[in-house]
Amino acid sequence: MNTRGKHLVAGVASLAVMALALAGCGSTSASSSSGSKDEKVEITYLHRLPDKEGMTKVDEIVKKWNAANPNIQVKATKYAGEASNMMKKLEADVKAGTAPDLAQLGYAEVPEAFTKGVLEDVTAEADQYKKDFSAGAYSLMQLNGKTFGLPQDGGPLVYYYNEAAFKELGIDVPKTQDELLASAQKAAAAGKYIMSFQADEAGNMLTGLAGASSPWYTVKSDKWNVNTNTDGSKAVADVFQKMIDAKSAFVNPRWEPSFDAALKDGKLIGTVGAAWEAPLIMDSAGGGESTWKVAQLGDWFGNKGKTGPDGGSGVVALKGTKHKAEAMKFLDWFNTQVEDLTTQGLIVSATTATAKTPDAWSKFYGGQDVMKELVAANNNMGDFNFIPGYSAVGAAMKETAAKAADGSGKVADIFSVAQTTSVDTLKNLKLSVAE
Amino acid sequence: MTAQKHTQKKVRGFSTKRQNITGWAFMTPFAVLFSFVFILPIGWAIYSSFFREISEGGGAYGGGELVHKFVGLDNFIYAATSDKFWTGVGRVVLYTVIQVPFMIISALALAMLIDSYIVKHVTGFRLGYFLPFAIPGVVASLIWVYLYNGQISPIAKGLAALGIPVNFYSGNIVLLSMANITTWTYTGYNMLIFLAALQAIPHDLYEAARIDGANGFQIAMQVKLPSVRGAALLAMLLSIVGTIQLFNEPQIMQIADPGISKSYTPMMMALNTSQGSITPSGDGPASAIAIVMAIIAGLLAMVYIMAERKVNES
Amino acid sequence: MSTVQNAQMTDKQRAREQARARRKAERIRAKAAHDLPRSMQPSKPVVGLTWIILVFALLYFLFPIYWAVIASTKSPSELVSTNGLWFAVGPGEIANAVAKNYASLLGWTQNRFWQWVLNSFIYSGVSAAVGTVIAVMAGYATAKFDFRGKGVAIGIVMGCMLMPAALLTIPQYSIFHSLHLTNTVLSVIIPCSVSPFGFFLGRVYAQSSVPNELLEAARIDGAGEARIFFTMVLRLLSPAMVTIFLFLFVGAWNNFLLPLMMLTDESLKPITLGLYGMASLATFNEKGALMMGALLGVLPLIVLFLGLQRYWQSGLSAGAVKE
Repeated sequence: MNTRGKHLVAGVASLAVMALALAGCGSTSASSSSGSKDEKVEITYLHRLPDKEGMTKVDEIVKKWNAANPNIQVKATKYAGEASNMMKKLEADVKAGTAPDLAQLGYAEVPEAFTKGVLEDVTAEADQYKKDFSAGAYSLMQLNGKTFGLPQDGGPLVYYYNEAAFKELGIDVPKTQDELLASAQKAAAAGKYIMSFQADEAGNMLTGLAGASSPWYTVKSDKWNVNTNTDGSKAVADVFQKMIDAKSAFVNPRWEPSFDAALKDGKLIGTVGAAWEAPLIMDSAGGGESTWKVAQLGDWFGNKGKTGPDGGSGVVALKGTKHKAEAMKFLDWFNTQVEDLTTQGLIVSATTATAKTPDAWSKFYGGQDVMKELVAANNNMGDFNFIPGYSAVGAAMKETAAKAADGSGKVADIFSVAQTTSVDTLKNLKLSVAE
Repeated sequence: MTAQKHTQKKVRGFSTKRQNITGWAFMTPFAVLFSFVFILPIGWAIYSSFFREISEGGGAYGGGELVHKFVGLDNFIYAATSDKFWTGVGRVVLYTVIQVPFMIISALALAMLIDSYIVKHVTGFRLGYFLPFAIPGVVASLIWVYLYNGQISPIAKGLAALGIPVNFYSGNIVLLSMANITTWTYTGYNMLIFLAALQAIPHDLYEAARIDGANGFQIAMQVKLPSVRGAALLAMLLSIVGTIQLFNEPQIMQIADPGISKSYTPMMMALNTSQGSITPSGDGPASAIAIVMAIIAGLLAMVYIMAERKVNES
Repeated sequence: MSTVQNAQMTDKQRAREQARARRKAERIRAKAAHDLPRSMQPSKPVVGLTWIILVFALLYFLFPIYWAVIASTKSPSELVSTNGLWFAVGPGEIANAVAKNYASLLGWTQNRFWQWVLNSFIYSGVSAAVGTVIAVMAGYATAKFDFRGKGVAIGIVMGCMLMPAALLTIPQYSIFHSLHLTNTVLSVIIPCSVSPFGFFLGRVYAQSSVPNELLEAARIDGAGEARIFFTMVLRLLSPAMVTIFLFLFVGAWNNFLLPLMMLTDESLKPITLGLYGMASLATFNEKGALMMGALLGVLPLIVLFLGLQRYWQSGLSAGAVKE
């Protein structure tokens, strides 16, 4: 009986020893990677740039920096998951004290990250680099007068259209609301669409379109004033409702394969899109040479020639970073590598150099200097900022937009839902809201 | 479970003390890791379900830090009174009622056919049926997103050409489209489990039956079916539990149908609450949703077990 | 090795089984006596119908995979504009199309694709092996021994099957972090090796496949518990172990949220993390390359399954398994 027991105990013990041995390996490798020697500092940077084939990879850009700055060594890591996951991870990392020094965040996420206690105040360290970036983008990295990082790229909304297909129909890029509706009607009669209503992008695109005329969220005496039913919102709702009713807008979701199919087979010949969609529309429509063009938004929603934001991101300093100055020094350098970042499909926020249109783009967009057009849009954005917890608002808008797209709801509902969800979100976070 | 009373005969000549020691010795490695991976995190989840993360100091942006605030049963009250939550529960229950029996019966039928020796060389079938299980869930859903698309999918185009245009995303059909993805992924896997159980039946058992003149169908019904009953009931129970936690399929189908909300299923609601796309957000409300949902799943599983027992007795 | 004892036991066992089979056969014969006598060979329509059902089912299961294979050779615009049932380019250019998507796949994965596949293999293999052994041990313990707290233990494990595992990932991260285990191989392997379902399979199979009489006989012959388990019980349970192993392996292979939280080193990532990363980016367009990655990533699973096929078929211990 005793021997049996021993056998078993020995077996279990050996398992345990194995586990301990493995654990030992693991922990030593983890600790050695985060060590720093003497004056040499190591900056860790979590990004989610595409890093696609043919682009200048983040690692390659960073390598240049590391070679020139032996005392500030940067290690860049690509985050592979969704944006919502990343925020969760950063929260956990900051609590655990293992957060990277720098991380890429969308502009809409910055207030949320601040409220969640993820950001480090780098006002003093970042201020000297303010001149390198467009003022609007820089302000998106600021809250309560403090700065938390440097902007990287912008996502102004622009209008993409196929010039040849427009000529065929005898229409031009509409300048006014009436022209837009009339041209859409004309195109629809020929089985084509010059506008899309993208339910899955409602929380970004519709917000941006409405935001072109006036902001939704303003702070007065430390309280939020929430008004998502601005005149701009009403105009957006009105125009899209008319187009949906008249079946003159393409209503399939943006990221469903049929959207690409419609671009490819020439059914969808014009759409509002974010600046970063320029290479995507190019890929989806088949690339090569074409007569597609980029234009500024017309005065369709009372936006008076202004445009609004859809996406775009900056890089923030995360709470607990020990090398604020070094991190900002690197970041300023990185975010002003205009040529390299352009290859990643970014419309950079840096104003230090003029971005060149990649060859493939100008081929596809009929020889147009696309980048110039996009940068122009970037500098023409209305002031718009987001509230902490905006992701919940965007999600609610998306659901409601799906109902508007299939006719079971109204476009105006999207903005009423945005109103209630915004107020609920702020209240649930115990922030102050002016009623 | 049900099999317990048959096999749990006392092992003779074996003292209670020895059973204690030996039993735990075999149990320990699993128990240790299990506590580490399940019990501790669940304890954490229960603990955090009594808290909410709010920003202290108020103002427009708060103090730049969220604080843990004890809120008693607030999170549970929120979950239990949320329309979104109960709509989601109703949806997964409906889904389960449709999908699980269909899948289990299909899997059982395929397993019995493969095991019937009517068709020789079944390796190809076996492998083919199992293959979808090896495709990562997100990729499988992506494939089906294409195959459901009216303008791209050869299936949808084919059906339309036959005069049966189907919109796989419309109204209630979207639930069936989702159920199809689950069925596609897991039928082969369940079939393998049944097959393993069928192959564990001693050969001489049905050799004897055959010699005695029972035909293939009788053998299947009277020897095989009773033998895989345990496996089938277990598979059924696990599938119920699995589908109640439905997550991957609707999450990916959102790409094609933005009408699938962040709270389409309770599991989605929990995860999205934890990640901040549903307000109130944070781990507190998310844990409460998960716990209430686990309790519901437990009740359903118990109802199933009891119903199953009652049917057996009668 | 205790071959003598084994032989003795299987003899006893066989005699018992034969008696049982005889009784069962009698019951069936009694019922069948009322039916018309039929030939043992299945009739032609039955065979035909069986074939039709099996082939139809095979088409259902394989068609989407076939589509994915075709899709893996296409560019984003070809994917939506060409016939889904066939290649977009002529036979001479398929190699080129494949090479193009393969290059795109390697580009997206920063040339780590195969390293990630290897990582997946290591994580899945180790966690499935460890998980199978501990699950079978625990299943055997609860099936064959009356130890204190057994009922509670079974209840807890079963209850945990109702817990959405994905929600536990965040607390798991916190716990692993406090033990300095995040961003290590163990942080993925340990959680993947614990499966309440594996435990239940182990238990059910131990209940049905390990006869008490066999254990009693072995004990009378003076065999130790560990020896009984490792030399006899494991052999009896081998079909069950293959099932549990496969289940754990595939589960670990397909897990995404866990490595996403736990790992930050590029060199430690499993393949799904890479693929999901590709798929979840809004700006990601190369669905063809993604399909190729998914298929190449699944290949090892198929190889594994084919390899294990033999164990399924052998019915190694089927002869000694009790009803």
